[in-house]
Amino acid sequence: MTNSALSLKSVHKSFDEAHIIRGVDLELFEGERHAVIGPNGAGKSTLFHLISGQLTPCKGTIKLQGQTIQGMSPQYINRKGLGRSFQITNIFRGLSVFENVQIAVSQRRGLQFTMWKLIDRIGRIKEETDELLEHVRLTTRRDTLAGELSYSEQRALEISMTLASDPQIILFDEPMAGMSHEETDYMIALIREVTKGRSLLIVEHDMDVVFSLSDRISVLVYGKLIATGTPEDIRNDPLVQEAYLGEGVGA
Amino acid sequence: MKKTNIIIIFVVLLFCLPAFLSHSLVNAVNQMLIAALFACAFNLVCGQGGMLSFGHSAYFGIGAFATLHAMGVMGAEGIMPTPFLPVAGALVGFSVGLIAGWFSTKRTGVYFSMITLALAELLHTVAPHLKGIFGGEAGLSGMRMPSLGISFGTDIHVYYLTLIWVLLAVGFLYFLTFTPFGRLVFALRDNSHRLRFLGYNVHRLGTMTFALSAMFAGLAGGLQVISIEASNYTVFDMHLSAEVVLNTYIGGVNVFIGPLLGAAVMTFMGNAFSDLTRNWLLYKGVIFILFMMFMPTGIVGFFQILFTIFRKYSLRILSPFLLLASIAALLLGFSTVYTVEMMQRVLSQDYQMLAQLAGANVWPAIVLFGREWFPGTGLFYVVPVFLFFSGLAALKLAIIKWHKIKDNDESGVSGATLPEKSGNDVSEQNCEFNAGEKV
Amino acid sequence: MEYFTISLFNGTIYGLLLFMVSAGLTLVFGMMGVLNFAHASFYMVGAYFAYSLQKVFGFWPAIILSTLLVGVVGVFVERFFLRRVHHYGHAHELLLTFGLSYIIAELVKLFYGNYPINYRIPESLNFAAFQIFGTNYPVYRLIMGGISLAIFVLVYLLLTRTRVGIVVRSAIYKPHMVAALGHNVPLVFMSVFGVGAALAGLSGAVAGAFYITSPNMALDLGIIVFVVVVVGGLGSLEGAMIASIIIGLISSFAVGIDLSLVDVFTLFGAGEWASGIGGALALKISSLSATIPFLLMLIILLIRPSGLMGEKE
Repeated sequence: MTNSALSLKSVHKSFDEAHIIRGVDLELFEGERHAVIGPNGAGKSTLFHLISGQLTPCKGTIKLQGQTIQGMSPQYINRKGLGRSFQITNIFRGLSVFENVQIAVSQRRGLQFTMWKLIDRIGRIKEETDELLEHVRLTTRRDTLAGELSYSEQRALEISMTLASDPQIILFDEPMAGMSHEETDYMIALIREVTKGRSLLIVEHDMDVVFSLSDRISVLVYGKLIATGTPEDIRNDPLVQEAYLGEGVGA
Repeated sequence: MKKTNIIIIFVVLLFCLPAFLSHSLVNAVNQMLIAALFACAFNLVCGQGGMLSFGHSAYFGIGAFATLHAMGVMGAEGIMPTPFLPVAGALVGFSVGLIAGWFSTKRTGVYFSMITLALAELLHTVAPHLKGIFGGEAGLSGMRMPSLGISFGTDIHVYYLTLIWVLLAVGFLYFLTFTPFGRLVFALRDNSHRLRFLGYNVHRLGTMTFALSAMFAGLAGGLQVISIEASNYTVFDMHLSAEVVLNTYIGGVNVFIGPLLGAAVMTFMGNAFSDLTRNWLLYKGVIFILFMMFMPTGIVGFFQILFTIFRKYSLRILSPFLLLASIAALLLGFSTVYTVEMMQRVLSQDYQMLAQLAGANVWPAIVLFGREWFPGTGLFYVVPVFLFFSGLAALKLAIIKWHKIKDNDESGVSGATLPEKSGNDVSEQNCEFNAGEKV
Repeated sequence: MEYFTISLFNGTIYGLLLFMVSAGLTLVFGMMGVLNFAHASFYMVGAYFAYSLQKVFGFWPAIILSTLLVGVVGVFVERFFLRRVHHYGHAHELLLTFGLSYIIAELVKLFYGNYPINYRIPESLNFAAFQIFGTNYPVYRLIMGGISLAIFVLVYLLLTRTRVGIVVRSAIYKPHMVAALGHNVPLVFMSVFGVGAALAGLSGAVAGAFYITSPNMALDLGIIVFVVVVVGGLGSLEGAMIASIIIGLISSFAVGIDLSLVDVFTLFGAGEWASGIGGALALKISSLSATIPFLLMLIILLIRPSGLMGEKE
């Protein structure tokens, strides 16, 4: 059937004694929206760190469109087409909104060591940046310092920066955390729109979001995937119910 | 447009200076220009890149020696015209900066600071043993040769050479802040972690920033050599690295012009006061600490705050506050200077000898501020104490006045913020750097 | 053999001394995240205080008094300088201590002059402990080593065996948590800062009499101490101990080795060519003894960036 955009094979990660990820196998198909859910401390963020290159797995392989990426640097993985957002907002607080996105956009243009052009005079970058800002409805806040944005605006900025490198695979780490109802609704629509034609792996606590957004869901408990399937499958899975209702794992 | 006009006027002024000034003053301005370029180069790493280097004397020194060698080999043969000799300093500075930067930007925060310090110290300890390169303990010297029809025999020629190079270099560094690279350097200071996940190679970016900074530091070293025609290993001393840190922060790291201003002002004061006092370095340290404690945005930040105050309140409302603040500054400054100078004079060996010769309980007079003071008398001690406490009182009054102005304003216009506060906020953002490196 | 034994002794004792100074630095860093640039200045101030005090009180009382005084200075610096700029971040604190070290050096010059002072160990202590290969070994070196060792044991016991030690150690890892548990963290910080300063002061008072007491001693030692903490791993007492001893030994052994790269080339029959080149190739290791610690630091940074005992990044 569909090709695999991202595939994890028996990935392990431990910190000293603590075994956080205990053998995870996960397939993210091309074009699907896939959510990872699980109780606190299940290792969801660690999983994201392993995929995006912040951490190196102790065992196992991670493949991005067929290429092995485990243990590679974050910038390498990003250039291979994987963009991620962070659970705790991670932006350039001292720069303007426009500059934040501008920097994210410039990467693809290979302008890292360009010292002979004024960045604001490079038309393509300006257009692309404005387009992205329009997309996440930040055009009016263009010249505000990123650190002075409201919380949800910062989340939107974070998402636009993740999208700026035009990644084929997107990792969103709790994009809705701390948002109001309206903001969440808007964010769902936004995520739907921007992930068209891309593959999405998302960690989220809000179950309404998860079930309305995802094509498939994986459930991570104590560092292991206990189930993967369509929202309907997951809703009816006895193991998942046990894990969430706290009747004891593996009873 | 207004900004460009000011810059143009200023540059024209710099070009006309030798017409008005004496030779020794032209020389002083020359030193100010070199110090300003050095501080500006340093600020690329420190202020813009957010990496606090404690070893920038290394690249200044390397540039100096490279230029000396170029002067000896190529200048004498006429291969390289004298005005282009500092290029050698810049190039060697850049190459050494690449290597040093590769090492030091492997770490961030305090580790970076310590590595830069150690690298400079490494050079400082090796240099006296390398006769061929650094001329051993005695150092090297050279001769500026006439070239391109200019003799380069007078200070004026040297001044113009320096001025043109400094303008070019500072102009480029300013331009750099508007390029994609320059923007990334700001981003590097702000959040290098995020940069990595946007696909940037942060280590390479840091190395490049460091190398560029070293290049312009090398150029400054080269210009120094053009003017004094000699150098020795003490140029690698901590002293110079400390100097540039102090100058840059006193000027203010957040604004491009800050380090230039700080270095120029401090060099000028150093020149002016070195005949008057032996304790200039102590005062400089005190000024630095005062800025760090109360005005972290430096001289530039101070003027920015003055500006906002003046725009917000009329001079009539402000004048009592400003008067009190100035009086407080004067009194406190004077009592400090008096105490330091007196201590230095009383404790000096010459004076101790004199006192011994004069016999028990007789203290010879000390001349300071154009009059004689007698350490044995009460006046000697009362003066500084009185001045100090009246200074404190004036300060207290000034603060009360300020709060009154603010309160009146707040009852009238809503949403007024304390100018000091906004100044602090800016610096706060720029000073946050990850010292712990703990995940 | 003679050279070996004496270098071993001297190196170990110098290393122990380095440890006394770097222990305070690394403790303060681990706890407050502040790299105290003025730490070695406390070492220098300790020596100068002891020099002045011994004229009045005699040698040993002067050393104890100067240790206490420097501790008070440390508390003062923490309370009235560092704490006030704490909210600006660690870079700012580093700069502030940098400025303080600058001022302290200038003040010392103001009071005592630019040149080394005549701070000597008292005659009563200036005798040989034993003879080794026909050379007298000064008893004072042994005293210095003994004091350092005693301090190490004391600090170690204090940190591991007492309630205060437990609070201090946990404040190093999780200051907010310790504050939440109701401990007065600012007070703990201030005390640790003071104790660290006092330790540096004690080492200065003891070592100043044996080595040289001059306005440069802070910087000279300070840079080596930085090398020690980078090599050992910032925040790790064990690392500081190991790195101190290593650097102490290296510095002391290097002084006596007259080999250079030329000699290495001679082994391969290229000696004449190499000495013809001269420059870096002809540098004797003995003349590099001050440089080797920095080279060691660079090597450590290459192969183990977090230091010998530091946590992995």
